Amino acid sequence: MLWKDNYQLGVSLIDEQHKELFRRVESFLRVLRSNNCWDEKIPQINETLEFMKRYVVEHFHDEEEYQLRIGYPGYEAHKKRHDGMVNYVQEVSRQYQQLGNNEQLMQQFGGRLMAWLINHVVIEDQRIADYVGKKGMD
Amino acid sequence: MEEKLYSSFVDATRNVFNSMLNISEISVRAAEHFNCDDEVDIAIGIAGDLQGEVIYRFPAPTSLNMVQIMSGMQFERIDAFVTSAMAELANIISGNVFTSLSNNDMKCNILPPVECNLDEKNGYKVKTSCCICTTIGQIGLEIRLK
Repeated sequence: MLWKDNYQLGVSLIDEQHKELFRRVESFLRVLRSNNCWDEKIPQINETLEFMKRYVVEHFHDEEEYQLRIGYPGYEAHKKRHDGMVNYVQEVSRQYQQLGNNEQLMQQFGGRLMAWLINHVVIEDQRIADYVGKKGMD
Repeated sequence: MEEKLYSSFVDATRNVFNSMLNISEISVRAAEHFNCDDEVDIAIGIAGDLQGEVIYRFPAPTSLNMVQIMSGMQFERIDAFVTSAMAELANIISGNVFTSLSNNDMKCNILPPVECNLDEKNGYKVKTSCCICTTIGQIGLEIRLK
């Protein structure tokens, strides 16, 4: 599984969203890495990519709202990282259409997204959890 | 400065392995111990107060183990997915190093990771390399500064 229990931050609202985000990304990766030939995978890849693109943006937005609500001091820097990933997703999506469903590009995207997401949750989001813990909130 | 940079890279690699892969047993050995002929080499350019590049050498078995731990899926060979995941890890480790150095008034930027062929480029004043040993395989680290 993509999600591991040690990624849990101890802030129930964020943890539940992360589990859902990882579930969506995992389903995308499973299609991407399945043994079917690429042409057969394209419709499902396109469908899950579109869905995931929307979900990533929604999740980041919800997380940013939460940070503002709790007065998280690292909000600006965190939002910048979210924006960087959203821009990357949009750029890859544009190139993917332009190149006519290129498999190589989508495999690159999958590898980077996976590593980025895990790091973001265990390092960047941990700082939010540390702040919440320090302030005695949840 | 070189010694500090070198230890910062080793520490950042240790932290990333610990947090992202749940691997805490890491030791550092001399570069001669790095033994590999099938690897993914990723270069990260350094600009600013320091100029040069750092090259991460991920042997194929190490790379496959790393993506398997992260994804929970089986990987049989190095492909665009694996190479891209390794490039992002190199980017993450390097980003952590230069963020921590910036707290000590060292201003550097890193360039996006690129897959490279390891060669003996001239023109570098400083070259430091080592072999990082983990329970899922080795990683070669080479720092080259102008």
